[in-house]
Amino acid sequence: MADARRRARFVRSRTTRLGAAVVGLLLGFSLLGPLLARRGPYESDFLHGISPVTGLPVGPGSEFPLGADRIFRDVLSRLACGGRLSLTIALAATALATLVGASVGVVAGFHEGRRSPLPWPAAAGLLVGCGGALSGRAAIGAAALAVGLAAAIAGRFAGPRIDVDGLLMRFVDVLLAFPFLLLVMAIGAALEQTSAATIFLTLGLTGWLGTARLVRAKTMQVRGLEFVLASRALGQPTIVIVWKHILPGVAGPLLVVATMQVAQMIVADSILSYLGLGIAPPTPTWGRMLFEGQDYWGTAPWLVLAPGAAILLAVWGFNLLGEGLRDALDPGGT
Amino acid sequence: MRSIPAGLEALAFALACAGALTLAAPLGCTRPLPGPQPAGEQGANPRRGGTLRLASGLDIRNLDPAGPTDGLAMQALLLMFDGLVDFDREGRVIPNLADSWEIGDDGRTYRFHLRPGVRMHDGAELTADDVKRSVERALHPTTPSPTASFFEGIVGYADYASGIAAHLPGVAAEGRYGVTFRLTQTDGAFLALLALPSMRPVCASGGERYLDSWTPCGAGPFKLDAAGWQRGTSLRVIRHDAYFQAGLPHLDAVEWTFNTGALPQRFRFEDGDLDLLLNPTQADVGRFAADPRWEGLHATLADNTSWGEAMNNRMAPFDNVEVRRAVAAAVDRSVLPLINRVNISPLTQLLPRGVPGYDPSFEGQRYDPAAALEHMRRAGYPYDPATGRGGWPRPIVYTVTDPSFESFWAQVLAQQLSRIGLRLQLRLVTLPAFYALTQRQGASAMHPQGNQADYADPSAFFDLLFTSSAITAEGTSNTARYSNPRYDEVVARARHSLDAGLRRALYHEADAILCDDAPWAFTHGQHDYVMRQPYVRGFEPHPIWPLDVRGVWLDRPGAAVPAASAGLR
Repeated sequence: MADARRRARFVRSRTTRLGAAVVGLLLGFSLLGPLLARRGPYESDFLHGISPVTGLPVGPGSEFPLGADRIFRDVLSRLACGGRLSLTIALAATALATLVGASVGVVAGFHEGRRSPLPWPAAAGLLVGCGGALSGRAAIGAAALAVGLAAAIAGRFAGPRIDVDGLLMRFVDVLLAFPFLLLVMAIGAALEQTSAATIFLTLGLTGWLGTARLVRAKTMQVRGLEFVLASRALGQPTIVIVWKHILPGVAGPLLVVATMQVAQMIVADSILSYLGLGIAPPTPTWGRMLFEGQDYWGTAPWLVLAPGAAILLAVWGFNLLGEGLRDALDPGGT
Repeated sequence: MRSIPAGLEALAFALACAGALTLAAPLGCTRPLPGPQPAGEQGANPRRGGTLRLASGLDIRNLDPAGPTDGLAMQALLLMFDGLVDFDREGRVIPNLADSWEIGDDGRTYRFHLRPGVRMHDGAELTADDVKRSVERALHPTTPSPTASFFEGIVGYADYASGIAAHLPGVAAEGRYGVTFRLTQTDGAFLALLALPSMRPVCASGGERYLDSWTPCGAGPFKLDAAGWQRGTSLRVIRHDAYFQAGLPHLDAVEWTFNTGALPQRFRFEDGDLDLLLNPTQADVGRFAADPRWEGLHATLADNTSWGEAMNNRMAPFDNVEVRRAVAAAVDRSVLPLINRVNISPLTQLLPRGVPGYDPSFEGQRYDPAAALEHMRRAGYPYDPATGRGGWPRPIVYTVTDPSFESFWAQVLAQQLSRIGLRLQLRLVTLPAFYALTQRQGASAMHPQGNQADYADPSAFFDLLFTSSAITAEGTSNTARYSNPRYDEVVARARHSLDAGLRRALYHEADAILCDDAPWAFTHGQHDYVMRQPYVRGFEPHPIWPLDVRGVWLDRPGAAVPAASAGLR
């Protein structure tokens, strides 16, 4: 009944509908744009892309709907192709950040106020996993993390009792001391060669801190509720309590934060590309297109306006969607 | 009180954004080009005083004349260090710190007479011992000098460069003002070579060995201001009051701001915050050219820079000459002026148009897609453009500086090479990282390389870029690691000949060898383009030096004192 009311509120909200429309438009443009464009995103057209009068790239017209860029490629085609990449990276990085943030938040919130045996295989797996990801050996890192988690869940390697919550939150505090974008740029600059995978991992592994804080608070709230206490009294395993009671309780706020975080990831990805720390050209990204067009602002403003508008719309659309979700899931604003 | 519905709020935001963009677009497009800043009435009479303000999108990595230099560093080195000889506006060697010289009958001994009373920046008088010490410092094996191999003809160089001898016997101080250079063989370019920055005397504080931490000090018309070099940010040099040339320099100081993009440079120039604008974008050049108020305020500098795609001959796939030939034949140079018509002219041979020895009738490397595919087949990597099958199986990492014209050209090059089965993967780096990677063996398979003539002789290109002896562990200019004994022999014969006709023929032969072996795919020559404010007087393009502002003075209305009344020598 409550779910139906929430769904109805979500569907009725004009904010949500506008956000969904903008996001849907961008997704549709990114998916279908390259198919509709006359030219590929990597092809220079030295015949039609040059204005015979000025010798500069042609502006928007029938041949090039959004104009040509500095080496006479189709801006429309590159914008759509860049959209695929920027949106994919933002969505994937958000998913990773949400997964990591939710995991850390639930673990910390669940262990708040007590000392627990250290699941050292999981901790070791996490460290090796991060190291592997940052050194470009993502497969090895993921395998180490999986083995560590499995071993910890099996419970055979319980170590000395520690303050899990305190440890995790102090770690979060330290990382929060660095501004997000500064941290992302530092990691981006340290990577010798960047790819979509390294950008996704960089953003995903640095963007989970706020999520962890939120989920921890919500977990602490839920774990004190009577039905959770009853489950514990009945002797249900921790993993079952988390799965059945804690996660459903934190899912709503988590979804809202994740939706809004997509917008943050789009901005971060664009900044990295703008600063030359993102995916190398000729692969189109919105940030790089903005950078490459800025010197022509006075004479070919479409080179800046097209990617600028795309970034603006994407950020705005995901923020609207997030607001709509928040209104639907938490109308009182708590 | 009723609150505004969220949907309306969002709609209002959208309308505001759209409105902002709509307003911003025409504002950006139609920002009127301001007129030039007013100039004074002095005309041809130099004024003393003022600071010349320059900017660059790059950064200076080194201000020691003995170390590696580039076009930007050369601008500053020219102002801070003077050599025994210099070039006039015709590119001929003229006296400078040395007021005369004699060449021995055997053509292997050069005796220079220094001007008495020349003061260095530290106040000491320039002596023959300073010249010998500076030359030994520049040629010492621990000095990362890219031009050291030019001087291997000096007697005793081999022992000195290998660390066996403590001094260079081929350079001798004779008395206080006499310096003698003795060579093992004749050298047609030796006089011109002495104008190189690395041969310019440095103060005693420079010591006997190259040091990264040294504060630049020489005998040039300007000296480094205290704390005047903020690495990555700016450089300021101030007048050397005791400069030996009477009346020079006219300026009080010259300032550079580094890492400034093309757009801010243009705005600063238009607003009168920069006095010269170097290499504006072709869009901006079009705007200035269309405005009669800016007529006559631009200059094109010498076309004395060669650019090409350097392919590391010791790394796959470019250790295969057929792959290199395929690249040389696959590059369509005709599109380069479409990307940048201000500074670029296509080039199919090593020498640019402004250097003696350039032969317009020599075809060099020709664009021929069919031949390129044939070379790939011969190399063992046949490629079928129809199906996209074949070619070199792995991506080739292409190192390039960013932001730069080269990073745009690299994207076009990647398109052209993909048609013969070579896939480039661009690695964008900063300028210091670019030098570090390209000058280290095995760190870069392919990259663009440019070379600006340091002196008016073909050897400035043929010796420096492609001889085996130019390959060093660090700081090499032969970044393609090209080595061909026949080429070395031809170039050495040309170098040691004093017969101008024979030298020309030999360098032509060397050019043909390079075009065939293709350590580089030659792409374009480059000339700088400068816009100036009308009050910048005395600026003349130099045939060799980049942006030579040694004779510049500022003629702002009522701003400075005419040189004639300023008590100048």
